[in-house]
Amino acid sequence: MKRRDFIKSAFALSAFGTQVPVMALGRKNQFGRIVQWDTDRIIVLIKLNGGNDGLNTIIPTQDDIYYNARPSLAISPNDALTIDEQNGFHPNLSAFHSLYQSGNMSLIHGIGYPQPNLSHFRSSDIWVTGSDADQYLQTGWIGRLLEQEYPDFPSNAPEHPLAIQFNSANLLEFKTSGSNTGMMVFDPETMYNLINGNYVAGEDDPAPDTYGGTELDFVREVDLLSFEYAEVINETAGQGSNSVEYPETNLGYQMALTAQMISGGLGTPIYRIYQSGYDTHADQNNDHSNLLLDLNNAVLAFMEDLSNQGLLDRVMVVTTSEFGRRYFENGSTGTDHGSSAPCMVFGSQVVPEMFGEQPSLSNLDQNNNLFIQHDFRQLYTSIITDWFGLDTEISTNVFGQQFVTIPFVQTPLSVRTTPIPAKFKMHPAIPNPFNPSTMLSYTLPNNGNVTIRLLDLRGHVLKTHPLGKQNAGRNIFKLDGRNLASGSYIAQVEAAGSVLNQKITLLK
Amino acid sequence: MSSLPLSRRAFFKGGKASRPDLDRLNPNWPTKRVAKLIRNNLKKNSPIYHPPKVDELPPVLPVTHSTESLQVVDWDMGAARHLLCRTMFGPKYPEIKEASENPLETELSSILSTVSLPDPPGEWVYEPAPQWDALTGEEIQELMNQYREWMGELRYWWMKGMMRNPINIQEMITLFWHNYFATAQSKVFFPQAMYQQNSVFRQFGLGNFKELLRQVTFGPAMMIWLDIHQSKDVEPNENFPRELLELFTMGVDNYTQDDIVEAARAFTGYRTNGVETNYSFEEASGSGPWWNEWHDFEEKTFLGQTGNWNGDDIINIIMEQDATAVHICTRLYKWFVYQNVDETIVNEMADIFRNNDYSITTVLYFLFSTEHFYDENFRGADIQNPLTLMQGLIRKCGMEEFHFSLYYFIHSQEFLGMLPLEPPDVSGWPGYRSWINSITLPVRKVQASSVITGQSPWGNFDVTTNVRALAQSMYDQNEEGYASEQIVRKLGFLFFGNPLSENLEGRMLSVLLDGAEPYDWAINAPPNNPQWDRMRDLMVYIMRVPEFQLS
Repeated sequence: MKRRDFIKSAFALSAFGTQVPVMALGRKNQFGRIVQWDTDRIIVLIKLNGGNDGLNTIIPTQDDIYYNARPSLAISPNDALTIDEQNGFHPNLSAFHSLYQSGNMSLIHGIGYPQPNLSHFRSSDIWVTGSDADQYLQTGWIGRLLEQEYPDFPSNAPEHPLAIQFNSANLLEFKTSGSNTGMMVFDPETMYNLINGNYVAGEDDPAPDTYGGTELDFVREVDLLSFEYAEVINETAGQGSNSVEYPETNLGYQMALTAQMISGGLGTPIYRIYQSGYDTHADQNNDHSNLLLDLNNAVLAFMEDLSNQGLLDRVMVVTTSEFGRRYFENGSTGTDHGSSAPCMVFGSQVVPEMFGEQPSLSNLDQNNNLFIQHDFRQLYTSIITDWFGLDTEISTNVFGQQFVTIPFVQTPLSVRTTPIPAKFKMHPAIPNPFNPSTMLSYTLPNNGNVTIRLLDLRGHVLKTHPLGKQNAGRNIFKLDGRNLASGSYIAQVEAAGSVLNQKITLLK
Repeated sequence: MSSLPLSRRAFFKGGKASRPDLDRLNPNWPTKRVAKLIRNNLKKNSPIYHPPKVDELPPVLPVTHSTESLQVVDWDMGAARHLLCRTMFGPKYPEIKEASENPLETELSSILSTVSLPDPPGEWVYEPAPQWDALTGEEIQELMNQYREWMGELRYWWMKGMMRNPINIQEMITLFWHNYFATAQSKVFFPQAMYQQNSVFRQFGLGNFKELLRQVTFGPAMMIWLDIHQSKDVEPNENFPRELLELFTMGVDNYTQDDIVEAARAFTGYRTNGVETNYSFEEASGSGPWWNEWHDFEEKTFLGQTGNWNGDDIINIIMEQDATAVHICTRLYKWFVYQNVDETIVNEMADIFRNNDYSITTVLYFLFSTEHFYDENFRGADIQNPLTLMQGLIRKCGMEEFHFSLYYFIHSQEFLGMLPLEPPDVSGWPGYRSWINSITLPVRKVQASSVITGQSPWGNFDVTTNVRALAQSMYDQNEEGYASEQIVRKLGFLFFGNPLSENLEGRMLSVLLDGAEPYDWAINAPPNNPQWDRMRDLMVYIMRVPEFQLS
């Protein structure tokens, strides 16, 4: 194989475990967003790894069976943060409480799947592959989703990672039949420091004071520099920032990093975060409470951060888990594996309601576990069709059947608030990429003033060309890049009371 | 650091300026017509990637200089792993365990014993050189295609063979001598000659060094490679004598330019057609018309000694010099121990070498018995060369019998930088840190992971490592603690030269468990249980961490 072809089509891994190709030129589609880049929507999925105890997260404050079955674990109606008559939040979820009341949170009860499997691995696999309990799929639902947008993946992949996963080496969720669309960041703290220039290789795990250690240091240094998406992530995330302090926990780092990447303009639409420790078979009180507190604080910081930066409208956060836990406590003041559990959705574009209700603790399945109220694939289908605004055919292709959506998404993919006159158009710049100049062209419905601006990817105006009055019809403007550095820019045309943008790339 | 980051532009540069493999070709050999075809064929191939050399030596650390034999109590699993990983490709966990339970002497005897030679890759190794002038242009091209195919077979045969030997050094010593007497097939051109050289390394590689040197020098491959066969009394060729003195025996500063000139005169009149030579081992001399015509029979003065020297005489004189033993032992040390050389140890090795008729077995036996060799400093100090990395990994994972494609074996090595039979030049592969740069490191990871994923840039395949069998081969039910934790520790032991740090162990365990508890993981879980998928994830994770590169 010629080296050129290898680089374009093969995989390359880094310290962070990516399995992505070297960057190629972008492609126009919903995710590429070359023309309408500022309407990206993003989903942040948080897996509560181990099986979250839903009943102690959203407490059934009126259910006697709950209180009888959990003498040491049940949370009293006084301690719970009241949602309504039947429901209360765990006391550590104060931020969730406020978010729900301020209309930024949605609650969905009873998410699971028929014939629940009580094994971590198997149940997790079912969730990530989006299969039935008796199916064994080898690809992930996100993989099958992204594959429809990028059929040749990894050829013709965009410049940014399609999906980023933190903290788990299991990339099955993003696996396609030929490849894997997920990029793994196994060490978010390292990556965070790397982007922000604070990283010292091996600082948290110093190499031994031997020749073996010396060589290890060397390999670690090369490792950092070989990180495949280093360029685009450093460029974008490096320009992003956090406007609040995040908890200094593993989850906190993951969310801080996600927010920073979004803030910097990284085009990745899907993030998967892992928070581990939910497998609370013993001494659940402390462990679960601490986890929920961490989750509470991290999500709050994230929401505030994005809100401060005006990014919240584009982002939705969803918690998932491979199963819930039993309604009764075991002999070790813990709970064992169960079936369904609630999911929580956060964002400014969610319907602030509860979908479903507290599960019945008397009417149970053959394993004495809770019946499901919603299939998890309904949750994912809603994300695909309502949040990302994709065709139902796409979600049907992902899951092999059509699932009824859960209407927790408030608005469809955002449309422009100012209607553009039917004939004001911007045509693709030619050439693009370019060096040293390119022709921007646009069509005006009427004679009018036109201003052309050049912006960087973060939206800062670099140059302004007030063109004055231009004629109706098609016009051309030559943009000279001789004094610019190589890279991507936004060419913006303002006319007829509207603004149109287009991404152009200078390659010297 | 000079190797970071390597720009892809520099990496791809395969223009005329960077084709030394074309420049060193002899335009008249084996005939003018054939030489032209050889050159054209080579030009069509992309240049082999040779990673840039990393020059700086690492800082010297305090290491024991003790040449005392290793204490019995120190011969443990770690020591056994260290010894086996340096002397063979990919020792498996049970093999290391068993070795640690035998006395060190027993293991060294096995490792350094002479084992039988493998069968040759094909009957073609006995093919004589053709009468080039009797062939048409088409026939020549066809024969060249045939040679190319055989060369590929030779490579494949050798790479497969690296994994065949249980506790024995034959394969490793063969690679060592290939790097030492680095000879490239792009110039030698005859696969028969390359095979012959390879079998010389195997057959003579552990015996007396002088005999090995003679065998290599007067084999067709070396005669072509360093232009011995072009050297005539009217125009003696200095290429071989220079490298003989500088690289193969005494090392720089131990001789003068005059010595090279005189030695060049002695190495005249030898001839090969690519398969046969005009040298007789019994007579220790060339013979026949070419020899009579072109050998310089006059007196020469070499290293202060005067006589009508021929090539053998030069070799004899060199082997009498003290510097020779030191130089050879230094190179042995650098390969088997570390690039920072310990003078005390090397001097002791040189003494033993000289006093034991330059027996390679004896000097290695000594080296592998010393406390110095087993010093903690050297654990994980070896940045594995691409062949040790891949072939060792395949064997450790139990996949040595699988029929990987030729493409997979060989083209990957083109990229990683250690294509067998094609060292960058006669000084061998620079090695050490030069193996690792921002281009090769990601590829090393991908290629390594392929034994689990079945996917590599050079082909996909269906059969991959049986992780369940691997886990069970390591598991000891008499050890306390959860199976999952035991397996993590032992995988760390098998694949990392450095001791497993707590941090890394913790991360590995969380990859294996993926949110579950340690007791959720069972050594006897049936093969289709998804816990084994997590173990596969763990294996891939192991191959991605920097520690994996070191042995």
